[in-house]
Amino acid sequence: MSWSDFAIIVLACSATMLICRVVPVFALKGRKLPDGAVRLLNLIPPATFAALITNDLFKPDALSAGIWPSAIPFIAAALVFVVGYKTKSLVWCIVVGVASYALLMFVS
Amino acid sequence: MDMTAFKEGLKSALPIMAGYVVLGLPCGLLCQQAGMDWVMVLIMSAIFYSGAGQYMIPNMWLAGGPIISIIASVTLVNTRQMLYGASLSRFCEQSSKAATFLFGATVTDESFGVNLARFENGNWDVKRATVVNLCSQTSWALSCVAGTLIGGLVSVPTAIASFAMTSIFICLLCMQKVNATNVITVLCAVMGVCICKVTGLSGPAILLGALIGMAAGYVYSSVIKRKEHA
Repeated sequence: MSWSDFAIIVLACSATMLICRVVPVFALKGRKLPDGAVRLLNLIPPATFAALITNDLFKPDALSAGIWPSAIPFIAAALVFVVGYKTKSLVWCIVVGVASYALLMFVS
Repeated sequence: MDMTAFKEGLKSALPIMAGYVVLGLPCGLLCQQAGMDWVMVLIMSAIFYSGAGQYMIPNMWLAGGPIISIIASVTLVNTRQMLYGASLSRFCEQSSKAATFLFGATVTDESFGVNLARFENGNWDVKRATVVNLCSQTSWALSCVAGTLIGGLVSVPTAIASFAMTSIFICLLCMQKVNATNVITVLCAVMGVCICKVTGLSGPAILLGALIGMAAGYVYSSVIKRKEHA
């Protein structure tokens, strides 16, 4: 990644991040958001996280590498889902996810 | 600087700081694999400061995604921060503009959770909450830089480092409420991404899939609301 590509991506992402972080704190000051906006904002996390996970796991041409290698991410993800649901802990999810993924890759 | 405020903030930040070491190391590794050096990673951690976002940028870059689609997808994920700001604004009424800005600009998923609980219990202020945020950010930045430097010395398969990101997203999804609206939103987002990728639209798949899921969830929750009022 060149410095110019880095600058464009990181400055743009930082600008939208700063707006999302700071504007509501100043704009609201105790007042409430309209109901429709709250409902829409509440939908962003489940929708984006589901989309990101699917994008990581679902690779249309992965089966050409064989059934076992293409099953590894799904098995590891299933384990992380169980751990995430039980513990809600980011640290445990990373440890279990990365360790099971590496182990499955190693035994295959 | 008021030492008791600093000590109390630091004490509350310690669990987050430990978590960010585990979170930051693979992120730094991934950034190194995407061709960033430690100076870039330090700058990114200082001005952008987002776990999910700092994983997405190198990962989408390695996948060859166009710059505009990286920015759009990261921005969509950034928008969840508006909920945190909206929820924390009521505690900032007595603080100066500069203090409110610094506090608001350094909120993350984890520090939001810790600070909200403290604010609601009372005996907590923006100064202490900002100490929590800045201590967490310091731990994050140092861990990411360490990961980048380690990445230059040992080779870790990209697939393993990037699965740390998938694990984070799975955990964040598990933290969402389980109700009919969210289930519909998730299922439609999953279908949307799959359809996009099968039809060759893998660049904007995340953005389109998430928007399809949100649209479905919004329509469903509107119908339910209308029925309740009828």
